[in-house]
Amino acid sequence: MELEKSLINATLEVFASMIFIDIAPETPSDSETEAIESNLCGLIGLAGDLRGLLAIQCPGEVAMGITGAMLGMEVTELGEDAKDAIGEIANMVAGGLKEALAVLGKKIELAIPTTVIGKAIRTSGLSGASRVMIPFSCPLGRFGVELRFILS
Amino acid sequence: MNSCIELSDKLIESTIEIFTGMVMMEISVAPGPMPKLGPLRKSITGMVGLAGIHKGVLAVHFPYQVATAVTSNFLGMEVEEINDDVQDAIGEIANMLGGNLKTILSDRGKDIQLSLPSTIYGDEYSLASQADVDQIILPFQTPVGIFYVEVELER
Repeated sequence: MELEKSLINATLEVFASMIFIDIAPETPSDSETEAIESNLCGLIGLAGDLRGLLAIQCPGEVAMGITGAMLGMEVTELGEDAKDAIGEIANMVAGGLKEALAVLGKKIELAIPTTVIGKAIRTSGLSGASRVMIPFSCPLGRFGVELRFILS
Repeated sequence: MNSCIELSDKLIESTIEIFTGMVMMEISVAPGPMPKLGPLRKSITGMVGLAGIHKGVLAVHFPYQVATAVTSNFLGMEVEEINDDVQDAIGEIANMLGGNLKTILSDRGKDIQLSLPSTIYGDEYSLASQADVDQIILPFQTPVGIFYVEVELER
């Protein structure tokens, strides 16, 4: 599906240009249950022709690894730096998706990124929304890029 | 919209209206200065993003016992645990409040769009937004406990 491809491309581009670690997409899942146990989640709302929510879901060690790679320093705690980094990644991936959708004639606007840090946090969308979940693997482990949406 | 106080007042009015009219629960603003939100424990958060001429997030934070009571009232059936019904109800409350916030911020809500509501829950978590934002946190007292309405708007 076009949307999955756009999401994968946007994510790959952000990692290639900002974070410099190799990541590889796994098979996307549209099942309701596919989830990655996450301790840190970057979220951003999307509005317009597609209403939705984009989430970057990271287990703690992956979030710290990504943050370290992005900032060029060692990160050993899930604090402000990790919060900012993963939120910014959510923002940039959403920006990439916005561009890709614009090419298809769909206009979306972004809200502001928010991050959630916690133990065994779960997120869910409103029932009735579609969901795409793309797991990515990287040397540090797996993380997920999730999009819940309704096309209007 | 020129001041946080004016915005707070209108948000309080909207929240009470939604609770009286839709949830059928009497609530009041908990007195005192604006609280700081520490980590949320055994809670569920409903949030919705705002995009357009005002960018931001509206979130409602409910401890589990308040969330289940609110859902039971809202749906008119007994709910005892955090299930799909509770997630939908809390998401819907965020969505309704977001809709009102839209109208408060912009005449008839034009030029502002809402994202899809979503819910987050867990044993312990904290929420933070990235951007440079104006923040409003409003505590409300219900018969079963306190919940919070939070708005963050990009400056």
